[in-house]
Amino acid sequence: MIHNANQHSRLVQKHKTMNFRKRDSIFGLLFVLPVIIYFIIFLLYPMGTAFYYSFTDWNMRSEPNWVGLQNYHQLFFDRLHYPYFWQSLKVTCQYVLISIPLSLTMALVLALMVDALRRGQDFFKMAFYLPVITADVAVATIWRWLYDPIYGLLNMFLGIFGLPAQNWLWNADMVIPSLAIISAWQCGGSMIIFLAGLKSIPSELYEVSSIDGASSWQRFRFITLPMLRPTTFYLLVTGTIGAFQVFGLVYTLFGAGGGTIGGPDQAGLTYVLYLYQQAMRYYQVGGANAMSMILLVIIFIVTYLQFRFVPQNYV
Amino acid sequence: MSRNNSKRNKVRQVLLLLILIILVIIFVFPFLWMISTSLKRGPDVYSTVPSLIPRDHKTGDIYVTLENYEYVLTRKNLARAFLNSVIVVVIVVPLKLLFDSLAAYSFARINFPGKQTIFMILLSSMMVPGIALLIPRVIVTQKLGMMDSLSGLIFPMAISIMDIFLLRQFFLSLPPELEEAAMMDGAGRFRIFLQIILPLSKPVLAVVTITSFIWHWNDLTWPLVVLTNPKLYTLPLSLAFLQGGLTGRSYYIMAGATISVLPIIIVFLIFQKRIIQGFTFTGLKG
Repeated sequence: MIHNANQHSRLVQKHKTMNFRKRDSIFGLLFVLPVIIYFIIFLLYPMGTAFYYSFTDWNMRSEPNWVGLQNYHQLFFDRLHYPYFWQSLKVTCQYVLISIPLSLTMALVLALMVDALRRGQDFFKMAFYLPVITADVAVATIWRWLYDPIYGLLNMFLGIFGLPAQNWLWNADMVIPSLAIISAWQCGGSMIIFLAGLKSIPSELYEVSSIDGASSWQRFRFITLPMLRPTTFYLLVTGTIGAFQVFGLVYTLFGAGGGTIGGPDQAGLTYVLYLYQQAMRYYQVGGANAMSMILLVIIFIVTYLQFRFVPQNYV
Repeated sequence: MSRNNSKRNKVRQVLLLLILIILVIIFVFPFLWMISTSLKRGPDVYSTVPSLIPRDHKTGDIYVTLENYEYVLTRKNLARAFLNSVIVVVIVVPLKLLFDSLAAYSFARINFPGKQTIFMILLSSMMVPGIALLIPRVIVTQKLGMMDSLSGLIFPMAISIMDIFLLRQFFLSLPPELEEAAMMDGAGRFRIFLQIILPLSKPVLAVVTITSFIWHWNDLTWPLVVLTNPKLYTLPLSLAFLQGGLTGRSYYIMAGATISVLPIIIVFLIFQKRIIQGFTFTGLKG
């Protein structure tokens, strides 16, 4: 019961607050509504259908029939239907194992050098970032040219030093290292992140160690590297996830324009390239979806292992 | 003692600068070669003495020619592909900015039922590899009647969860007092968003703009699966098919590649200061 003006105004106030909260909630939901709609249409539903179709034999022409684990079984064991499944897995794993350490090491080395500069850091950040912002297509074009056995610059460069010319992209053994070199050339993004990490190391640590007479190498090993662990971990995890999915570059080098796909002896047939071929050229949508699911699991496992066994912090 | 040290430091700085400049030359050289080749006439490209500056292989004269660009733009329809890319980017990037930042603001500042749960669910979708979604997304796009059209390039890409995450972290770091003051003055949420939040968020908006621009300008995979009509091809797509048919005529391809890269470099140079600022700010602390 309202007995006086005070109680009345407090009640009005409470009512206003409740109204405000309700209205605010409506605004909140309204603002995220487009995102939720998008999520349901373009993320949730596709995930569900991908999962469903991986258990069917859909080939885009007739109705999909449920075939249970047949696609998975064929991918793993049937060399007639999917001759290059294991090859593509092997190629991709090799690529990940070579390109990630190469790329991260180069990024760290460059970051350390740029960080040590007193002036001009912005210029170098931008310069090394240029290879990153170039389209995959342009990158493939440029590097195919550089790697050309006869007219390419790399072989000409080697020739100056009397070293033998290499068959960079057309020798099965050289394909993955050649791809890894391109990936290292594009380490600018990681370099910038390493730079941010380096800047966040408190300088007192270095100063105290100088007083204690530590050498540069000791400072690097016992201060810089451990303090960089969160950064390195982030780059390792995201880099690995990205490397497992490499497609644009390899497609332009080895996949466009019909004909045999995947380069010499399929040495460049990465997992996603093979997946793409199965879906778009052979219309094996069921099998392709199964491949996607398998990749998902692989990436989850690798990421989990990284979280479990790679040190994330300096303690 | 200190005089010796500062001299040693200067020498070190110069040495470091030299090494870095050499490295930059090595890293940036492929670009210069690409541009240089695009400006050469066909027969001069494969000269026995490679030269960065275009030279006539018979007379040794230095020149610059735009004939490759002309060929590629008119005969190979790269001009149309360029236009298609521009259309897509000009629509998608502002759309993304609008929807993503609105949602990010809501997640950061407004309380509504299920906020945390919804946010977590959205975040978890980031962990799914893109390729797993590619084919089903094509199916959805087909069902929506957007296949083989520019809208099929726009709407399925109109939101980025990663950007929402980034923006949300930034908005969380803004002082809430400003909004509270505005609310007490009776401003509605939308006005607060437009007149207070957005102006303060320039660095992170610059980052999102430029990264979205680069992503959509360079995207090959999605247009590759959505488009079959060559008239609608975007630039990376046209360039990829150019390569398939013109092996050996690299000067045309280089011209195409230069055309493709130049807008990004220009936009990047314009936003450069803000981007690097935005990167280091939102780096790994936020």
